[in-house]
Amino acid sequence: MGSIDPVFALAAAVTVGAGLLVVIQRNPIYSAISMLACFLGLAVIYLRLEAPFLAAIHVLVYTGAILVLFLFVIMLLNLKPEELGVEYPLKVRGLIAAMCLGLFGLIALPLWQDKRELPPKSSLPAGFGSVETVGHALFVDYALPFELISVLIMVAVFGGVLLAKKKL
Amino acid sequence: MISHYLIVSAALFAIGAYGVLARRNLLIILMSVEVMLNGVNVALLAFARLYGQSAGQLFVLFVMGVAAAEVSVGLAILIAVFRNRKTVDTGDLKSLQG
Repeated sequence: MGSIDPVFALAAAVTVGAGLLVVIQRNPIYSAISMLACFLGLAVIYLRLEAPFLAAIHVLVYTGAILVLFLFVIMLLNLKPEELGVEYPLKVRGLIAAMCLGLFGLIALPLWQDKRELPPKSSLPAGFGSVETVGHALFVDYALPFELISVLIMVAVFGGVLLAKKKL
Repeated sequence: MISHYLIVSAALFAIGAYGVLARRNLLIILMSVEVMLNGVNVALLAFARLYGQSAGQLFVLFVMGVAAAEVSVGLAILIAVFRNRKTVDTGDLKSLQG
């Protein structure tokens, strides 16, 4: 393996560690706070991948909207410790953990052979990852998917109101 | 190296898969789905960077849009379930089991 970019290594460690905390924490409020660390680490990884606009949008959408929505619902439900439910027995969880470790190995092992370096920054097209480039591609080349996403979000708005409302 | 980013992506995906399969709290299952989606985003951005294509960055934007829609509907379902059944444990939700 080549040398590891230290900023990336730190961000990756924070992201994966916080990701693990999200799934092993019993109380969802701690999971949500771990998810905050996970998302901020991811934003740093996005910056390392020359995607400053995506990093900003990621922080806005994930920590600004999705995480706040999760925290809002956690506070709305106000679960007591005995309402958190029971977990699967340790044996079942161990088996699933082994399966997921196998899944990780299956994806990661062939990657050890992959020695491709990322091309130097100077070889990228001008303005790669900037608002102009992404915006141009979004509104010129991918205008139809963009419109479809807006339809999907509209449906989600209606669905959310319909499902969560007590009486229509 | 591109493989470092892809390994982080695989790790996040596997962690999220564990959360979805092994946990019974609906809130944590939804959070694990978010972690899985983010793992995929890292892979998409790594390939966008490798090939110098901004289309990969656009797919990440679309994944974020879908994730936002998914989480809003998912949390609305969770609230409806909790209001009717007073539980967020998937083990207690077996009225379709017959």
